[in-house]
Amino acid sequence: MNISTSTAQTVAAAPDLSVQIGQMRLANPMMTASGTCGYADEYADFADLSKFGAFVTKSISKAPRKGNESYRVIETRAGMLNAIGLANIGLERFISEKIPILERMGIPVIVNVPGWCAEDYADVAERLDQELPVVQGIELNVSCPNVKNGLSFGTDPVRLAELVAMVRKRVKRATLIVKLSPNVSDVAVTARAAVEAGADCLSLVNTFTAMVIDIEKARPMLANATGGLSGPAIKPIAVYMVHRVYTQVAKAHNIPIIGMGGIQTWQDAVEFILAGATGLAVGTALFIDPAIPNKICDGLRQYLARKGHGSLREIIGTLKTD
Amino acid sequence: MLLWMIQCAAHDNAANHATARKKGQFAAIVLANTQICREHFLLTLRLREFPASEPGQFVQVLCPPPDVAVQSAEQAVAGLQEVFWEPGTRPPRFHDPDFLGSQPYLRRPFSIAGRRDDPANAVSDIDLIYRVIGKATIRMSHLVTGDSISILGPLGNAFPVPEATHTALLVGGGVGIPPMIYLADKFQRAGIKSIAFVGAQKADLIPLHITGDVGTQASSNVREFAAFNTQTVVATDDGSLGNKGFVTQALEKFCESSAVSQGVIFCCGPTPMMRATALVAARLKLPCYVSLEQPMACGMGTCQSCIIKYRSGSAEDWVYKLTCKDGPVFNSADILW
Repeated sequence: MNISTSTAQTVAAAPDLSVQIGQMRLANPMMTASGTCGYADEYADFADLSKFGAFVTKSISKAPRKGNESYRVIETRAGMLNAIGLANIGLERFISEKIPILERMGIPVIVNVPGWCAEDYADVAERLDQELPVVQGIELNVSCPNVKNGLSFGTDPVRLAELVAMVRKRVKRATLIVKLSPNVSDVAVTARAAVEAGADCLSLVNTFTAMVIDIEKARPMLANATGGLSGPAIKPIAVYMVHRVYTQVAKAHNIPIIGMGGIQTWQDAVEFILAGATGLAVGTALFIDPAIPNKICDGLRQYLARKGHGSLREIIGTLKTD
Repeated sequence: MLLWMIQCAAHDNAANHATARKKGQFAAIVLANTQICREHFLLTLRLREFPASEPGQFVQVLCPPPDVAVQSAEQAVAGLQEVFWEPGTRPPRFHDPDFLGSQPYLRRPFSIAGRRDDPANAVSDIDLIYRVIGKATIRMSHLVTGDSISILGPLGNAFPVPEATHTALLVGGGVGIPPMIYLADKFQRAGIKSIAFVGAQKADLIPLHITGDVGTQASSNVREFAAFNTQTVVATDDGSLGNKGFVTQALEKFCESSAVSQGVIFCCGPTPMMRATALVAARLKLPCYVSLEQPMACGMGTCQSCIIKYRSGSAEDWVYKLTCKDGPVFNSADILW
């Protein structure tokens, strides 16, 4: 074994950005955040999707959903609020119309699954797991704050554990990811519940429940009244929460974290990785520039080379706090 | 064979062949940014290898980063609605005490108002006409010749082309007028007769160059439309130019008094004006295409925010369609207004 030589060669070459998330090997950590990138190839004209580490679809529910009334989105300082209401074409049309496109993209696909009862989640997850090999990961949306009672799974550790355990029994192949809600007093509590119930990976954070008011009409701006806050405005809180989950739960259990929340530049990405994230998702910033994941990869390679690292994996969770 | 073609297409895309793309992200150089009338500016941009576009399509503009120039404390204002400036000058650069509030985060959509291609040099000039209404458009108004901005486009669908024997009735309200200029250009090339109907609250809010007396009938005294051999009927709410009243009233009067054979209405403007135009079209039994606008974050069909209710199947049944991707142009009869 000549480890030192091979390491030296790796350093001389471009730093290795590949990461392992459960059963999935990703060429780089950059993914799309569910709900900001459509079903499949909506961004194909604006970015080379084959260079993304993985593609995360919008939420796919068992039945089609029309979603909320307008307004669904409102810009805020350094971000935006959304209350789409999980509008989507439903599982059957997703399988017939979008899976063939996803199969051609050539990168790992993760499908985001919402639900209104545990069976909703489990039925969709089982179908994806058993019938669709292109779907390598299933991300449970237990924290969408836009749908009535949607907070219940993601904010209650007991119900969350029951849900994850039930889905875990029916998902045999795909990597099971639980997307945590930040709308809790201590995200480590729900993180621990999800991991102990069998999650392979945690993704965080989903959006923060928030409100914008039209002061002339004295009404909420969004038809749904409340929405989820995303964008650079939430990034420092998201970095903190990733670090909290990494140090309190994920590191000890060897569970990877997909970090997200306001990531727009490679510097943002490095913060999340140092805080403990293995994968990274870009969400709201895709609306401005769908090629941001690829630009972040370029920046990460330069950062790692400048710091003398041969691999991104060397710096995961290496934040110094002493 | 089919697989090979798919791989070639994927390769072209990966190789970033702008000429092979139908849309994309482009750097645009500002050629000119001039005030046309109160609150309205004409921004002309030069782009390399910009894909083919059609009237009705739009672009998403990333408004420029903050300009740190600060004027006197007297000029500092807190509310955007209270920014005033002299005709012929740009809005004041002001130090906003609520400075983060003046930073737009998302792109802003603008319809294409005109386009001139220079194929030999692979450059295209496109016109955008915008009204200064908020933080992003205030930024835009400060762009100067030589500045570079990021453009996504061309996005959305296009106005349909009527048969050559039909008469196109181009109806524009306020800042909805710009796509009608581009449409007049296209219809002139296609040999289709057009008549423009433009309206605004007041004469000084019409983003067009008036070159003579417009009267109350169709005239050739509106430069932008006359350039494409299109006569124009003008209406203002207060009667300060052309017909007094709404542009929809001028349209209806014209259609009733003139022998317009096989008219087809093309419309863009504020939603109440487009709804009124759709009613006029229904009364006159004329086909009517409207270019809708809804608040949108992305313009690419992913944020799902720019929804409109679209008739589907039975009279009461409807589905949501996306203004950015399924539109912005729709048959007005398909919209649940």
